[in-house]
Amino acid sequence: MDTNDRDLLASLKDKSTRDIAFQLLVSKYQERLYWHIRKIVMNHEDADDVLQNTFVKVWRSIEGFREESSLYTWLYRIATNESLTLINSNKKRNFIPMNDSSEFLMNNLTSDPYFDGDEIQMKLQEAILKLPEKQRIVFNLKYFEEMKYEEMSEILNTSVGALKASFHHAAKKVEDYLKNKD
Amino acid sequence: MGKMDEFKNQFTELSKLKNEVPFRVPKNYFDDFSARLNVRLEAEKMNIPKPKNRIIQILKPALGLAASFALIFMLVYWPLKSFKPSEVTQNVNSESEITDYEYQSMVEGMDENSFYALLSEPAQKVEISDDDLLNYLSASISDYDIYMGTDY
Repeated sequence: MDTNDRDLLASLKDKSTRDIAFQLLVSKYQERLYWHIRKIVMNHEDADDVLQNTFVKVWRSIEGFREESSLYTWLYRIATNESLTLINSNKKRNFIPMNDSSEFLMNNLTSDPYFDGDEIQMKLQEAILKLPEKQRIVFNLKYFEEMKYEEMSEILNTSVGALKASFHHAAKKVEDYLKNKD
Repeated sequence: MGKMDEFKNQFTELSKLKNEVPFRVPKNYFDDFSARLNVRLEAEKMNIPKPKNRIIQILKPALGLAASFALIFMLVYWPLKSFKPSEVTQNVNSESEITDYEYQSMVEGMDENSFYALLSEPAQKVEISDDDLLNYLSASISDYDIYMGTDY
């Protein structure tokens, strides 16, 4: 854990400084967490809900945080779990089978007024949406955020070896999709 | 060969693309986010946890299970109770009643000596007191009939 995060965590655990420390935490991590969530849920409104839920959960749980991982990976873990919870609850609400979210998320993507990419980037997003859920998260973290496997391992509770294999398979599938779509 | 070169060689199409996220956010979204979050957190702080609700939440599964057992018990118990007593009563009544046919069969089945012994048995004396007799008469016959002698 970097020094800044250590100090921040200490301030968060101190009731007298918690409020100010929490504001600092939000301003430091809101964008990174937002984009991580957005790539999972594929929709700005849902991403906004999940980001709020994430910080609310952090607020509730900060006293019990045992510092077995870094603050940064803990935040990412909460954000990932909250994103998946939202996707699952949307599936239930829309009577979509639990093991199939790609079409549902594809609709989110194609109807998203905040999608700013060109045709090729739309194809890339389509390819990523075809991936199984966890593989999609691994691909996003590695390809877009260039996250280290060790950090990813803490977030997803998966071994580094498994993550490397997962990313390799995901990249291969995306590559094949892009080649076939041309 | 570095990892990046390896990646480029293996994934040519992916390598051509910029790894930028193709989404944007509404104007001032991140500037406003903190304020909106604070509103929500203030609401959180206002919500005082209710111990009673917590107890109910813990007991809920047990209560549900108990209610299920009670329902099953009633579904089995009530039909049995509804049907069994009359059946029992019927059996008891049938045991105490001897039909004419059964009586006739019993008599016909007796030998002569038993039959005559039965006949000669002194009848059970039923002693009726004067009060009992008067009560019976007053219940069956009106005073008018008694005085006027029109009870027959």
